[in-house]
Amino acid sequence: MKRFWVPLLLTFLFVFESLFVQLVPGDLFKEGYVFVPRFLIISIFFLTMYGSVKHGLIYGFIFGLLYDMVYTEIIGIYLFMFPLSAYIFSGFMRILQTNILVVSFVSIICVALLEAGVYQMNLLIHITDMDFSSFSKIRLIPTLILNLVFIILSAYPLKRLFEKFSDSLRND
Amino acid sequence: MPQFFLNKRLIILLVSIIILVALIGFSLRDRDQLTLPEQFIKDTTGWVQSMVSRPAHYFAGFFENLKDLQNTYDENKELKKHLDDMARLEAKVYSLEKENTELKEILDKKDSLRDYDPLQATVIARSPDRLWHEMIIINKGKSHGVQKNMAVMTSRGLIGKVKSTTPFTSTVQLLSALDPTNRISAALQGDKKLYGTIEGYDKENEWLLLKGLPVDAKIKKDQNVVTSGMGGVFPGDVPIGKVLKVVPDEFGLNQTAYIKPSADFYNIEHVMVLKRGMEIPKEIENDEVEEEEDL
Repeated sequence: MKRFWVPLLLTFLFVFESLFVQLVPGDLFKEGYVFVPRFLIISIFFLTMYGSVKHGLIYGFIFGLLYDMVYTEIIGIYLFMFPLSAYIFSGFMRILQTNILVVSFVSIICVALLEAGVYQMNLLIHITDMDFSSFSKIRLIPTLILNLVFIILSAYPLKRLFEKFSDSLRND
Repeated sequence: MPQFFLNKRLIILLVSIIILVALIGFSLRDRDQLTLPEQFIKDTTGWVQSMVSRPAHYFAGFFENLKDLQNTYDENKELKKHLDDMARLEAKVYSLEKENTELKEILDKKDSLRDYDPLQATVIARSPDRLWHEMIIINKGKSHGVQKNMAVMTSRGLIGKVKSTTPFTSTVQLLSALDPTNRISAALQGDKKLYGTIEGYDKENEWLLLKGLPVDAKIKKDQNVVTSGMGGVFPGDVPIGKVLKVVPDEFGLNQTAYIKPSADFYNIEHVMVLKRGMEIPKEIENDEVEEEEDL
């Protein structure tokens, strides 16, 4: 039974991200800033940390593909960036200590890397022609603040959930 | 170099980059319709999303109503003021409409580019990847008669066009998208109609850019901008916004007008997909495009 919690949670977050941008007013603090929820990938980071790296990469791949098909209609960007950032995250965690504060900090850094990578790719295929400084002002920094709040709220519950998940994997 | 090929990680990376480039190239093509697996996945997720989004909207709507109650008094005053004007306008519109139909009957002209048939739809999702992909997903699709490139508006004005359709949902690209291929033929209402294209969005000021206006045209502030109805399946005279200011473009051959959009691109819940009433045969459509260029 515990096995179904992980895909269910990730699916819920996948739908919740789009609900979040629909329901939270865009001019919450000041107009013109874009807050992008990255709750799904943060949960995948925590899954690679406390669950298993293999599962993290597989879920990154599946949800990257879904994200591309449903939300961007350009297949490839998130399909590539989700597993890659999860892989980089697990690489970081192999050399750092596994304190929950360190995990949260590294997740924020990996979200920033993901955002920058996606920006670079969109720049490359001419979806956008924005320069990096206005990108960081309009999108990168507000996004990091929003996701930092999410991590502070949910780091401990996510840790508990994925630890239980990895226990159930080991028992099988 | 046998050692190079034995490095598993490197090979996985290289292969995935090749697949990545191929997939992006495939999806960036000017596609008429999505592939079947994509349509299937979009329909399935659309079903899940509409199940989740409806109760969520009720819940959010409840709090919004509470907030609205606070400034009801001021709003009521303002609205009463408008109401007096409304009655006068309504009478005028009625007589004008009647005169228009009578005149059309005399000319034996049955349909015009302006006729459209609105199809109500509800927003079920929005792309979280904002700024790069300003898209919403609505709950009407091919089976309800939605086609690619149809105009989509809220009660206040044009918000975008249909980017792709699946049997039960369709994706709308908003005018605020930064995608340079997102263009719409527009006209400035005035003594003499001026044509240009809406291309580009100024993210920091939230202005639309109307490009390609003649350099000698006199354009005033607060002139209305509407769709021109030329090309494709767009109906004419759908409001887009009002002119804020006009600047000469970089080469001095044309003018660019900054437009304040009349619709809100953020809080969108109910939209209308506009089916144009008038069908145009292919050859005539081409002639019309040429005519537009002559102007």
